[in-house]
Amino acid sequence: MLLHFLVRQSLCCPQVLLTRCVRTLRCDAARTLDSQAEHFLRRRLPPPPRFHPQSRGIKSRNRKSQSQEEEWKTRNKTVLTYIAAAGVGMIGLSYAAVPLYRLYCQASGLGGMAVAGHDTDQVETMKPVKERVIKVTFNADRHASMQWNFKPQQTEINVVPGETALAFYRAKNPTDQPIIGISTYNVVPFEAGQYFNKIQCFCFEEQRLNPHEEVDMPVFFYIDPEFDEDPRMARVDTITLSYTFFEAKEGQKLPLPGYSYN
Amino acid sequence: MSTAMNFGSKSFKPRAPDKGSFPLDHFGECKAFKEQFMKCLRDNSFDNSMCRLQSKEYLECRMDHQLMTKEPLEKLGFKDLMDPPPSQANRDTKP
Repeated sequence: MLLHFLVRQSLCCPQVLLTRCVRTLRCDAARTLDSQAEHFLRRRLPPPPRFHPQSRGIKSRNRKSQSQEEEWKTRNKTVLTYIAAAGVGMIGLSYAAVPLYRLYCQASGLGGMAVAGHDTDQVETMKPVKERVIKVTFNADRHASMQWNFKPQQTEINVVPGETALAFYRAKNPTDQPIIGISTYNVVPFEAGQYFNKIQCFCFEEQRLNPHEEVDMPVFFYIDPEFDEDPRMARVDTITLSYTFFEAKEGQKLPLPGYSYN
Repeated sequence: MSTAMNFGSKSFKPRAPDKGSFPLDHFGECKAFKEQFMKCLRDNSFDNSMCRLQSKEYLECRMDHQLMTKEPLEKLGFKDLMDPPPSQANRDTKP
């Protein structure tokens, strides 16, 4: 019966197929024949459900697709493992990035941080670089809701690197309530900020002013002598120091800036 | 300003002062020294090098009135002003 079908198939197929069919008939590969027949049947005619060789074909097809499925399964598993490993790797990398980035910034000096922590004892031993005069201008700001009057007492000071300098700001509380202020500062240009060292000032701590009180607030600072040797600072002649006051609640303290190793 | 979040942009990182914060001079005990310093600055066209003596005196006043922790002035960068002790004794009598 199979032969009958095959012959009918081969009548519509080209000659090559016929010889192939016959050759396979001659061989003892009954399974291959069946699968090939099934292959052709599927392509040309819808297979009748109750046809006898089909059951044999199903088994072989199942076996072949089973091995194929297994192959796909193992391949899928490998791919999934790789993807999961990549995901875990990314998460780990994002956690590791924090100290790595910190190290990189220290090494490359990006972000305006001093490459190494500056030495507080150098104040004693530093020599002023008298040739390089830098003008330091002063700016005073306050937050909109802060009611103090806050202004610098000098517009500018000419300093040289390596020399300690003193500057004054004045703050007045014109209201009838005591107000606590807390301030932060800023130095422009940003790269010069790493050479601007404050020995003592009035920032980052609460300062309380009683009603109608006026005080002088000094800033004692110096510019690192290495400023003169930095090629990036060769054209910097003016540094602006800017303080901004905010109102503070009782007991509030600004966290000291810098990382924990600072 | 200093919060530009792009990588590679120089940003400013504020640093805490080395010796902390000055206590406020509520009673104006050192106001006279401050006025002298400001006058010196105005007279010398705001040149800090000429007025270092007055700044040293202001800091000494602060230390005397417990408005600043006492420290040897060399540590504050005034080593060059400390050299001749006898002539300094003369200057101490200035108001």
